[in-house]
Amino acid sequence: MNQMTDFSSDQSQPMLRVDNLSHRVSLETDTLTILQGVNLEINRGESVAIVGRSGSGKTTLLGLLAGLDTPSEGTVELDGAVISHLSEDERARLRARRVGFVFQSFQLLPAMTALENVMLPLELAGIDAPEKRARDLLERVGLGERLNHTPRQLSGGEQQRVAIARAFASEPSVLFADEPTGNLDNRTGQAVSDLLMALNREQGTTLVMVTHDEQLAARCGRQFTIESGVLTEPAAVREMAD
Amino acid sequence: MAAASKLMSVRRDWRERDVRVVLAALIIAVATVATIALFAGQLQRTLVSSASSFLAADRQLEAENGREIPGEWLTEAHARGLETGRMVEFSTMVFGADNFQLVSVKAVSNEYPLRGEIEVQRQSEGPRTLVGAGPGRGEVWINPRLLRLLDLTIGESLEVGNRNLKVTGLLIREPDGGFRLSALAPRVMMHADDVPSTGVIQEGSRVEYVYLFAGSETALDDYYRWLQPQLEPSQEWEGVRDGDTFSRSLERAERFLLLGGSLAVLLAAVAVAVASRQYALSQRDTVALLKTLGVRSNGIGRLYLRRLALWGIAGAVAGLFVAVPLFWGLTRMLSELLERPVELYLDPMALAPALLTAVVSLFAFAYPPIRRLRNVPAMRVLRSQPGETGREAIPDILVAIVAVFGLVWLYAGELGLVLALLGGLLLLLGVLALFGWLLVSGLRRVRGGGNAWRLALVGLYRHRRASMSQIAVFAMTLMLAATLVLVRTSLLDDWQAQLPDDAPNHFLINISPDSVESVASFWSERGHDLDQLYPMVRGRLTELNGLPVKEAVSKDERINALNRELNLTWMSSLPADNEIVEGAWFTPGQDRGVSVEAELAGRLGLAIGDRLTFTIGSQKVTESVTSIRTVQWDSMKPNFYMAFPPGGGLTDMPATWITSFYLPEEGKPGLNEFSRQFPTISVLEIDHIIARIQQIVQQVTQAIEAILALILAAALVVMAAVVSATLRDRQREGALLRTLGGQQSLLVRSTMLEFVLLGGFAGLLGVTAAEAAVWALQFGMFDGNFGWHWQVVLPIPVISAVVLALFGRWQLGPVLSVSPMLLLRRLE
Repeated sequence: MNQMTDFSSDQSQPMLRVDNLSHRVSLETDTLTILQGVNLEINRGESVAIVGRSGSGKTTLLGLLAGLDTPSEGTVELDGAVISHLSEDERARLRARRVGFVFQSFQLLPAMTALENVMLPLELAGIDAPEKRARDLLERVGLGERLNHTPRQLSGGEQQRVAIARAFASEPSVLFADEPTGNLDNRTGQAVSDLLMALNREQGTTLVMVTHDEQLAARCGRQFTIESGVLTEPAAVREMAD
Repeated sequence: MAAASKLMSVRRDWRERDVRVVLAALIIAVATVATIALFAGQLQRTLVSSASSFLAADRQLEAENGREIPGEWLTEAHARGLETGRMVEFSTMVFGADNFQLVSVKAVSNEYPLRGEIEVQRQSEGPRTLVGAGPGRGEVWINPRLLRLLDLTIGESLEVGNRNLKVTGLLIREPDGGFRLSALAPRVMMHADDVPSTGVIQEGSRVEYVYLFAGSETALDDYYRWLQPQLEPSQEWEGVRDGDTFSRSLERAERFLLLGGSLAVLLAAVAVAVASRQYALSQRDTVALLKTLGVRSNGIGRLYLRRLALWGIAGAVAGLFVAVPLFWGLTRMLSELLERPVELYLDPMALAPALLTAVVSLFAFAYPPIRRLRNVPAMRVLRSQPGETGREAIPDILVAIVAVFGLVWLYAGELGLVLALLGGLLLLLGVLALFGWLLVSGLRRVRGGGNAWRLALVGLYRHRRASMSQIAVFAMTLMLAATLVLVRTSLLDDWQAQLPDDAPNHFLINISPDSVESVASFWSERGHDLDQLYPMVRGRLTELNGLPVKEAVSKDERINALNRELNLTWMSSLPADNEIVEGAWFTPGQDRGVSVEAELAGRLGLAIGDRLTFTIGSQKVTESVTSIRTVQWDSMKPNFYMAFPPGGGLTDMPATWITSFYLPEEGKPGLNEFSRQFPTISVLEIDHIIARIQQIVQQVTQAIEAILALILAAALVVMAAVVSATLRDRQREGALLRTLGGQQSLLVRSTMLEFVLLGGFAGLLGVTAAEAAVWALQFGMFDGNFGWHWQVVLPIPVISAVVLALFGRWQLGPVLSVSPMLLLRRLE
């Protein structure tokens, strides 16, 4: 493991740079291309939505951007580090310090309380006084009264709020959100996306969100469309963003 | 309903991991219990048949009153399908060419021996052969020493009473050449039909008739039930199980097997309980769905009951299919050990405990959590409902404990065993509750960090419910396994201690007082030191507190020691393996009193201060009991019921001396010279007997090791089942931790540490409970000396920590090899 890998960020560089990214998976009989020739650059503090139908490859792209998987071809540069050049442990260290996640299915650990779930990334990153920070964050997302409840005792919206608190806990440079409101009703979804956006603004985090919800996508600075593994940025939207 | 049944097809069941675990647990349960029951039966039959040769039969009926038994007793035995044989034993003078010698004659019928073989040498320098019948009419086989004493050669005649019998062989070993001090004189074996013509046996002669019986255990037991009311006090029915070294070893081995079987039952129950609870939890969504579709609670109850019954049948059948080849393998191993073919006997009755185990495990352990599925609300389909708190399971657990211990009781037939195991288990649960409290209050303050240790401790605390139940199951499993290991170790140590390699294997008897010194120097010159020499005076116990002893003792007590002359001795110091249980040993200078062996004292109802009168020849000696002591009868050293102080009541009585010593095989030629130099001293060679016992102990040890291995394998499977119950949760957690930036090495170290802590603690707890159970067992089941066995038990927590850490590492495997993204999706 290379302990010397430098994760310090260069503020002039883009947060994410994707160059000619392709991803294929081998099936029993043939090979399936999930992503093809994706190029993308996202600046610091930007919020970006990637919109597409089910099976269009958007979650795979998110995973590759976040370094949860390595691409078949091309490079992903996250905060100055080329992900495919890093070992698994180096990628983990990068995630611990720079990356936050919000999942469609919340991914809270059922045996742990809300507080413990939020403390988890802080503990992994070796941050001091994790409990204090986790409490503050849970207060911030409106769950100050439910610190010791386990996920099973919380509603879907509450669970997602815990997940959001966990995502922001280690003050990540970039937050990846995978259909954050996909499992929630309209009203709850609205409240959760408000919270996500608000925290994003407060912390100046770069947000990369995958969704099929056009309304949610519209709240992001830039939107991309993905179809059959090909990513495009509609001109109209780009102009609006400018 | 039909649709619902379809939803629950057995094939679908089989695809569920939890069902496979329940079934695996059941199969292991049935297989282990059946194998042990079958093998224990086989072992017992094999050992009894090898042990029977110690009696030359399965049973002996000894008539010490000098009268033959009524002919109808033998007719009855034949009618019951038993084989019989007859021996007549007496002492007489025999004459060779020029001199004569007192001998101990054993006259045997054609059938002798019913069990075992006689070792005989047909020529002085010829080979020794094993034969299945005694000498023919007109022939004798004699002890090699007698050949020298009488200056005879093979082929010459020996005069026994009025008959001249031809010496046709040297008697090397007789199968029932048991260790009897009464057999002092050299042996002559002849045909029983020749006895009347010798004219040696007259009215009033001291003669013992011994009848041999062999046949099936049931027939023998039935016959004994028929015979028992007719037996006189001087007639004694003897089996191999009557109190000698060998039968005690056998009995302990059998108990060990029973203990092993009982532990297998408990282990199986634990495995079934764990797996079925897990299964019930996984079924809640299905049940809620079924209820939504309109299936009523009763219908659900019936569905699952039917399913349980199907599993029971499948598990039992598969278990038996595993057990039979296993049993066959063990029997083959036994056969190889014994170097003779062992008849494979598959006793259908031995399968009953296994099937009962399956039924009880299923209905006492698997059914309760599954039955509670009826109560799952349909609402669960829409909204996740709080799970069980565990409290509602308490009555079920109590019922299950009663059921399983009832099963163990039924199986082992030993209340002591049940109580010892139950006690150990309660202690374990008590300590576990205390630990739970400590875990909650102590670890709450620990905060995780990038450090594997802290993460592991936090993990323990955060998974406290799973941790506690895992510790409980591991500790219970380890307690059961450790109990077995401990008992085995004690058993083997005990046997080893009983018969060390240099255990005395020769006795010198009838040493006259003036040759004591020359005998000792004879052997020490040849490098063999004699053990302690004891004086021996023959006498009868005739009065107890002034009353004739037969009146003083209740008629129900048939006490052998009262029917014959006892060997009395005097000694200044207590032999190392004797132990005073009441009163005090003689002080230096004390010359009054007598020390009595504890068991005899118990049967005679003796207390300190009781006056005993002995008749020695024509003289009477009266002494008060000053101490009661235990004696190691199986120590292969001279042992005495009655010991007097030096200068006490036996002084001036005619005494001879006795001793035992270890003579290795290469020292044997010295015996010839010894016999020439000391013709009046009898040498009793018991090295054959000792070698035989050692061989049998070895066989039993091997069998015990095999059973132990089987149980340990079962324990390992239980632990694997428990660990795999949380597999999914742990993998999901691992994937998430990696997603959140946990490094692989940290994950591996913290998970392994968590399991090390779990395993180590469960190991310590299990071992402590096992020591407690063994401590309780030593009083009840095994009369060995049990101390603490830290050198044996300390490795167990270490092994359990290592094994669990490896289990933990194994669980993490997929988490480490697959991208976290893929894993999270897979586990969603």
